Amino acid sequence: MGISAYLTTGALAVLLGLDRTAFLQSMVSRPLVAAPLTGWLLGIPQAGLEVGMLQELLWLGQLPVGTVIPPDDTQVAIGATLLALTLDRLLGLHGMPAVILCVLVAIPLGQFGRYADRRARQANNSLARQAEVAAAAGDSRQIEWLHLSGTGHFALSGLVTCTAIVAVGTLLLYPLAPLLIGAVRETGLSLQYSFTLIGAAMLLGTLNVSRGLLLFGVAFVATLLVLWLR
Amino acid sequence: MTPSPVPWLVLLRGCGRSFLLQASWNFERMQNLGFCYQLLPGLRRLYGATPPAEVLQRYTGYFNTHPFFAPWVAGTILRLEEQRLSGAAPPIDGADFQKMVMAPYAAIGDALFWGALRPLAAVVGLFLSVQGIIWAPLVMLILFNVPHLLCRCCGWLLGYLQELRSAETLQRLRLPDAAVWLKEGTIILLGVLCAMLAVRGCEHQELDALWGLVLLPVVLLFAGLARRGVTSLAMVVITTVSLLGLALVSQ
Repeated sequence: MGISAYLTTGALAVLLGLDRTAFLQSMVSRPLVAAPLTGWLLGIPQAGLEVGMLQELLWLGQLPVGTVIPPDDTQVAIGATLLALTLDRLLGLHGMPAVILCVLVAIPLGQFGRYADRRARQANNSLARQAEVAAAAGDSRQIEWLHLSGTGHFALSGLVTCTAIVAVGTLLLYPLAPLLIGAVRETGLSLQYSFTLIGAAMLLGTLNVSRGLLLFGVAFVATLLVLWLR
Repeated sequence: MTPSPVPWLVLLRGCGRSFLLQASWNFERMQNLGFCYQLLPGLRRLYGATPPAEVLQRYTGYFNTHPFFAPWVAGTILRLEEQRLSGAAPPIDGADFQKMVMAPYAAIGDALFWGALRPLAAVVGLFLSVQGIIWAPLVMLILFNVPHLLCRCCGWLLGYLQELRSAETLQRLRLPDAAVWLKEGTIILLGVLCAMLAVRGCEHQELDALWGLVLLPVVLLFAGLARRGVTSLAMVVITTVSLLGLALVSQ
């Protein structure tokens, strides 16, 4: 595993991280897109897709509204994909159980992304104050410059979060993965599907629809019966 | 001074700049600099290379709305500024219009894009991924970004061309109703997805598919916990520890 894998991951952490808040917000930062893209560039597309599938729904219900900052699922997705490559190259562990371990280690570290994002936004406070002075002086070019330099804070936040996830994740997985991989394999599909089911429950709990539980229940039972009768 | 209308090229620049609205998002003034940044090409066209300090100060104050609806506000304000400069008294001051609409536009945008369309696109993407369709992420991106880009670009143009009437246009679109329908569609698709996973799990364990019904109360219980503020991280930890513990005991 060469330095190019880390450089690629770093570039993606910055570019896709900007999509979360600073630029475009086109959803390329969602785990289901970010992880497969990372996996494709690192030569492990299947692992990337699996990381994205496990993680997509978990924090989807947390809306980026006002001052609310959700955990950084973009960097968790990118970092977990690089961790999957690391496990493969260092310990020869691959497949869904290895991917599950990487995601399990990366998810709690997503909380660090919240802290980094908050720091970036706090750093932008000073840009807003400087812009007030520039506006009073009629300096519109300075306002533009101050505004664009805010992207630097968000880029740094994404990069630092991804670095932390990869560094701490590698340190944890190197001794723990060989011990836990057998137990993860033993759980079969239960652990794998539990991520999606928890994500679905979180979404169901946060989507504010009056007859949501009824709709979900009917759709669930009807589909299950159709598949059973098939 | 009678200003010439803002040319299309300048409008196009303003539209492009709307994608950077939140580049300097901050806790004190939120999207203020991004909003001013989007207006600046138009303001330079109206006021010359250096817009007066009072105009800049007017649009660097507090501003916060849904990022996809900010162009609707900015387009209208540009037209109001144009009217003011031409001597025709605008029906409302630009800064007052900004304060008046940013909260309702934010409510519409948050409910429609973050609360409804984003979950729907994600669940559709996940549903296709589970079927093994490799293009699922692309489908998800298209599903979200066609309405997203239409909202940003058309909103900016409608705001400029229709000025205050753009708010009526927005009202006629009945977007809050659309948000509710999209949320209901998401929930139905979520039910289908969970049932499919339950059946697959049963088949893997060589159990009758009807055993999958056991998962329904479990998901509903977790949904109840989510409503009471239990985080997904806590649920993942509890579930993982339980499943791994059982696996280690049975090994």
